[in-house]
Amino acid sequence: MKKLLWALLLVAGGFANSSNAEDVLHIYNWNNYIAPETMERFKQFCKCKVVYDTYGDNDELLAKLAAGAKGYDILVPTQNAVETLIKQKQLLKIDHAQVPNLKNINPAYLNLAFDPNNQYSVPYAYTVTLIGFNEQKMKELNYPTDSWAAIFDPANLAKVKGKITVLDSPTELFAAAYKYLGYSINDTDPAKLAKAKEVILKAKPYWAAFNNTSYIPGLAAGNLWLVHGYSNDMFQANLDAKSNKRAFSIGANVPKEGAVFALDNMVIHKAAPRPDLAHKFINFMLDGKNSSELTNLIGSGNPNSAAQEFIKPDIKANKGIFPDQELLKKLEQSKDVDAKSRRERSRVWTAIKAAKVK
Amino acid sequence: MAGATRSNSATRVSRPLLGLSLAVYLFLYIPLIVVIVYSFNASRVQSGEWGGFTLDWYNKLLHNETLLNATLNSLIIGVAAAAIATVLGTLAGLALHRYKLRLLPVLVLAPVAIPEILQAVSLVLFFNAINLTLGMVSIILSHVAFCISFVAIVVRSRLQGMDESLTEAARDLGATPWQAFRMVTLPLIMPGIIAGALMAFTLSIDDFVITFFTSGPDAATLPLQIYSMIKVVVTPEVNAVSTLLMLLTLILIIIANKIAPSALQAK
Amino acid sequence: MANQPAAGLRARMARWPVTAPPTLYLVLFFLVPTLIMVLASIQYPGEFGGLSPILIEDQGHTRLDITLENYQRAVSETIYLQLFLKSLWYAIVTTVLCLVLAYPLSMMIARSNKKYRDLLLLLVILPFWSNFLIRIYAWMIILGPQAALAKGVNAALGAVGMEPVSLLFSPFAVIVGLVYVHLPFMILPLYANLEKHDPTLLDAAQDLGANAWQRFWKVTFPLSLPGVYAGAALVFIPALGAFAVPDLLGGTDAIMIGNVIKEQFREARDWPFGAALSFVLMAVALLAALAAAWAGKRYQQQAD
Repeated sequence: MKKLLWALLLVAGGFANSSNAEDVLHIYNWNNYIAPETMERFKQFCKCKVVYDTYGDNDELLAKLAAGAKGYDILVPTQNAVETLIKQKQLLKIDHAQVPNLKNINPAYLNLAFDPNNQYSVPYAYTVTLIGFNEQKMKELNYPTDSWAAIFDPANLAKVKGKITVLDSPTELFAAAYKYLGYSINDTDPAKLAKAKEVILKAKPYWAAFNNTSYIPGLAAGNLWLVHGYSNDMFQANLDAKSNKRAFSIGANVPKEGAVFALDNMVIHKAAPRPDLAHKFINFMLDGKNSSELTNLIGSGNPNSAAQEFIKPDIKANKGIFPDQELLKKLEQSKDVDAKSRRERSRVWTAIKAAKVK
Repeated sequence: MAGATRSNSATRVSRPLLGLSLAVYLFLYIPLIVVIVYSFNASRVQSGEWGGFTLDWYNKLLHNETLLNATLNSLIIGVAAAAIATVLGTLAGLALHRYKLRLLPVLVLAPVAIPEILQAVSLVLFFNAINLTLGMVSIILSHVAFCISFVAIVVRSRLQGMDESLTEAARDLGATPWQAFRMVTLPLIMPGIIAGALMAFTLSIDDFVITFFTSGPDAATLPLQIYSMIKVVVTPEVNAVSTLLMLLTLILIIIANKIAPSALQAK
Repeated sequence: MANQPAAGLRARMARWPVTAPPTLYLVLFFLVPTLIMVLASIQYPGEFGGLSPILIEDQGHTRLDITLENYQRAVSETIYLQLFLKSLWYAIVTTVLCLVLAYPLSMMIARSNKKYRDLLLLLVILPFWSNFLIRIYAWMIILGPQAALAKGVNAALGAVGMEPVSLLFSPFAVIVGLVYVHLPFMILPLYANLEKHDPTLLDAAQDLGANAWQRFWKVTFPLSLPGVYAGAALVFIPALGAFAVPDLLGGTDAIMIGNVIKEQFREARDWPFGAALSFVLMAVALLAALAAAWAGKRYQQQAD
């Protein structure tokens, strides 16, 4: 038995390619969050190897780094996670002299509250959290989709009972309820949290599930009619519905009360083995053409002015992906939350999720 | 014992038993059939409909170095973790059966009861404290830590109620403890060891939480890849790679069985 | 047991090759890391996640900054108690269903021709070498509204004038998922036990006029109890802490205590409370295992 297992180990080990000492950049990013052709060009440009590892969301990333994981050069967290990482002293300052292409970024996305003067972070791409829906079905039902009332008002919800899902994330769902109630999404007043809880509990019986992952196929297949989710996912769901020759299309609206705007940023980890390559990568990705390729691939929002001319017209025209000036003003970014408020929010969130339906 | 003739009706596999068993196999295989069928589905949307047969996803997969690498990593980690856990778990099972111990019973049961995420965070903190770079080694060490228990518990239950007089007889005839173990005990508990090894391999190859935390750069396993893929876009490529992993594992076992058939049999 | 009274230093030394390797490994890679978290469970959460320092400077001298409030919160707030009870109930149902499904299959494999046993066993575990998430997604399709199962069920309900139901995102889906993912961990230990049963015992029972049912309850089942306990432990304890299945297959009120624990290491970034909840859960699981072992002993003594 033992001999056999050793034999297996050796066979398996023989396949593993051992990497020798060469220039390697370690990127830790979301899956499918860089276009393959961009990556190829970067490798040629820097004459280095790139190791691309992936995480599923900011919370996983924060937990792993807080426990002391290292070895990564570039990370691409959302702005509130950037704020957390700065406060935890996990990041390296970016040397602006090495990233001249920073001038390409639209000034509206620079010098934001989470990182004044972009000392630690550089914008990469963004999404808006909004309402996606089956356009034909909504017309048929004469259902209002321009307000958060679409997912919170029981008077509407009876028509779509069991055909609607909301995000399984306290940050996102509380933010939506806060916007519906007319509060700032970063308000930490417990009384407002209680109000939001009330709103959510009244609407909960009509929702099919809290869902972060399977709403794209749900929408594209016609099993779900209305979802609370991310702009690029709605873009994907619509592509899928089209490619399956559905009789319906998937639309998306930023509710008139405003919504969450999430900006993902490139940052360099403090224990980065190769800050030099990291700077090279950041500058490379700030190039207009390189930046546009991601948007064309997945329909993410693009903060890069120089990229605009390379973006496919149908994506540029999509208001869910590129909100106009008026809508932009209503969007708000989540901030990091202190320990006491996190604890309070977690308590309310558990109560919401555990509350019995029926 | 196991080789006794089965002429008597009391120990035959009766028809109702066979029927029930087939029903349970069906329950185990329905999702797998869905997984495999959908890996040939031309439609990208996975929601219970058929868009025509295609081999595109497999073709894509064969050019996806990241996924293939992750598959290989999963297999290496699974085999290594299962091998080490099986040896240590078998020893633990024997120890629990033979001796009255205080610490070991708790050490064996507790890893089954500890929430994965707690164990994951604790291991990263620990590896960090002893300055071990995260990577394949840290993943294997962590997997072994939660797999030992499963092997130990099965091996121990196999030993319970078993006649140890044979081992003692062997010792009386002058066999060393190792000889007695090799010739008498090991063959008797082999089905338990095989069951334990299968569980350990299965747990390792499917683990997400602990692997996510204890992995370093360039050591992604298949579950890590699939979890991060599913957050973005699910395509039947994921089904194709799952099917591939299963096939590779099966082939590995068949080869192993050919190289060392005795290792996988009770006698 | 072979616990010779002559146990001196020599006897202890003889144990070491058997007991030392697993003990050392588990102490190093399980106990020590876990003790770090025991410490974490009496600390305060860090302002930005992680842990706040355990030693703080207070008016010129250092003091320990620890607390029991995490445990207090875990055991005193009713919402967590309710979720513990719900998780216990789901874990019990899962264990019983797994036992009922696993028994016939394990028995069939143990009784089939020796040549095919390993193959039949391999067939049990084979589906679990595809990916967990992909299998759960497959269940989402099987239980989904467009699949034959839901259509059939709802046609039947409609025929008797009842409202259609959703199979997916329901407690039913959660139980199906939990039973599915844990089933092999019941089948394998049971098989390992049933495989060693001496067929002559059953033959003797038959010769004495016992029918199939009596043979099962009087001979096979009591003898298989160690296997049942092993399987039950390997199903019940992990099912108690489940979180992925209720997340993916459950409806809007599906969470179990495992989801709350996971949440503390994610958005809540409250490791101390997560650790405290985890240790309470471990205590519940270990107490349940002890209680089952005790009840089993009583049952066997009565049977003897």
